[in-house]
Amino acid sequence: MTAVSSPVREPAWSLPRSAIGLWLTESLISVLMMGVGLGIFLIWVPADSGGPVPVLRWLVPIAVALYAVVALAVRPWFKHRTYRWEVTGEVAYTRTGWLSQTWTLVPISRIQTVDVTRGLLQQMFGLATVAVFTASSQGTVRIWHLEHGMAQRVADDLAARAERTRDQAT
Amino acid sequence: MTGPGEPAGSGALRRTSPRIVLVHTATFRQARQLVPIAIPALAGIGLGGGRWTVVALVVVITLVSLATAALSWWRFSYLDGPGAVVVTRGLVSRSTRTVPNDRIRGVEVEAPPMHRLLGLVRVRIDAAAGGAGSAGRASATDDEVLIDGVPREEGDRLRTAVLTKRNRLPAVGPDTPDPGPGTAPAPEEPEEEFARFDNRWLLYAPLVGGYLAVPLAGLGVLSRIVDELPDGLLPDVDGESVNTPGFALAAAVLGLVLLAVGAVIGAAVVNWRFRLVRRGGSLIAVRGLLTRRHTELEIDRIRGVAVADGAGMRLVGAARVNGLVTGLGDAQRRGQLLPLGPRALAEALGRRLVEDPGPLVLHPAAARRRRIARAVTGGLLVTAAGAVLTVTEGWWPLLLAGVVLTVLGVPLGLGRYASLGHATGPRSFALRVGWLVRERAVLERRAVVGWEVRQSWFQRRAGLASVVACVGAGRGGYIALDMAADDVAGFAVAASEPWAEQLVPARRTAGGTETNRSRSEE
Repeated sequence: MTAVSSPVREPAWSLPRSAIGLWLTESLISVLMMGVGLGIFLIWVPADSGGPVPVLRWLVPIAVALYAVVALAVRPWFKHRTYRWEVTGEVAYTRTGWLSQTWTLVPISRIQTVDVTRGLLQQMFGLATVAVFTASSQGTVRIWHLEHGMAQRVADDLAARAERTRDQAT
Repeated sequence: MTGPGEPAGSGALRRTSPRIVLVHTATFRQARQLVPIAIPALAGIGLGGGRWTVVALVVVITLVSLATAALSWWRFSYLDGPGAVVVTRGLVSRSTRTVPNDRIRGVEVEAPPMHRLLGLVRVRIDAAAGGAGSAGRASATDDEVLIDGVPREEGDRLRTAVLTKRNRLPAVGPDTPDPGPGTAPAPEEPEEEFARFDNRWLLYAPLVGGYLAVPLAGLGVLSRIVDELPDGLLPDVDGESVNTPGFALAAAVLGLVLLAVGAVIGAAVVNWRFRLVRRGGSLIAVRGLLTRRHTELEIDRIRGVAVADGAGMRLVGAARVNGLVTGLGDAQRRGQLLPLGPRALAEALGRRLVEDPGPLVLHPAAARRRRIARAVTGGLLVTAAGAVLTVTEGWWPLLLAGVVLTVLGVPLGLGRYASLGHATGPRSFALRVGWLVRERAVLERRAVVGWEVRQSWFQRRAGLASVVACVGAGRGGYIALDMAADDVAGFAVAASEPWAEQLVPARRTAGGTETNRSRSEE
């Protein structure tokens, strides 16, 4: 990645290190699934069938191997660098993604609901996601992979402050 | 038939007209739900063939339809009390829905053809779902109450009663931002006409994608029917004459004419005698030839307007105006303020509702390069595949198609770039995007409930970023594609309220010269 300055301010706080473990596990699962798919392809599609099959027998394993290297050795750490979040007196703010990045900002006065969800994998790592909804179907801030206690505190704080400062203009 | 458990309201419990049973029997409105049960049941019993079976089946189905329609009419009642509208229904399990008046966002009165014959209307009451449940969801069916089949006068009474009761309430919530000029509760306000449909505008219809789809769908149905017909019924067309170029040309011209006529008829059916008037604090749109629709929108809830003009509409200077209204279900249809009309009129109508932020600022040259690159990518892929096929198989048409697509991509990319633009004014801002369907959205600053900034790897290399203004109205988000990355924070601050300053990078001095440079490129 080239070091070009980002268009907007970076949120201040990073995620806990255990998020890397979670992303690594997710990558591992997807690599295993692709490996199974590759195995099926190599075993059941006969090598001497016509068309592009002989080429694909080389290309597909290479692509899967490349994906595995990126997903297991690079992506979790990159994601840990780009995923950031911040809650200030006025707004909830996140940055997500890794190659393509997304910054989402929602003012606390326009928050309608706050959810905390814990996926199966997240529970294994003691993590949770805080989702902040507004009246807009697109204006949703998701703070991924916070430690569970922290997520609950953030959600309670946001909900309480939203209740006090709610604004009817939406 | 008020049971002891009915909610106690001060108004009288009202019922729909019994005439609605006829309409529902004919349209199988309730009986339709039984079809999934009926088919396996019939298959299980087994049916002998013969005419009598068919007759018996028709009679039974009609009776079932009549019974279910009557039953649901008998079990339906409504009440417009001083504080809420209460609807009670349900065949076996009773359900009662209470919609507080301050949650009602709009009332629509529609009269489909059969209803009109019997002098009935259907009233749709649009309600914002209770605070906790509505987040991020835009489902329309959940948030509306349907009172189907009341006499026309009762429909009008219900509409004015519900809306005036709502308006008479004290300001909703702790801090209603500005009361606005349009909250006067008096029911008999003088009407002010905003727009009236001119039948000459129907000629625009063949150039609008949506209206062209209607005759195309009809054509599809027709071709299926022709396929089903036995050969003996089809006209015997001589094979010789069909293959001449003259015949093909005539067929193509005839097809185009039919398509155009179909589009005009479709537009006429939907928009017949369209009128947009302002009465008190509401905008009222009335339209339709067969089904007459009467939609009422609260001016206080209008957060912006979208003026759309597709590629075909731009040729003749036509446009369409949609109001962006908060908490409006099925916004695409109900928000229509001008379904089709001359561009100048559309712009004027938009300015009347939301302050115009001024001329659009074009996006930097890098955005043009990116639009062109994206528009030719598909063509280049096809060209590459075509080149491989030409070398290996000697089959060249794909290569030719790829080259043509690539060349066509350049004007498409330029056209899409020319559409991009944004502007900020003291109270509102504007965004424009799209080529085939170009849309310029003008929104009030207070409408923005969040910002989303997106930057792909390619955009980062080119110093661009896309910004989505999240609003609780219309489509929910309006995008400014490929802005200069350094302008993003400034635009967000200028287009929403002070909280957006949180987006401004800390070292603004370092970015200042950058911003100036990218501005001068425009």
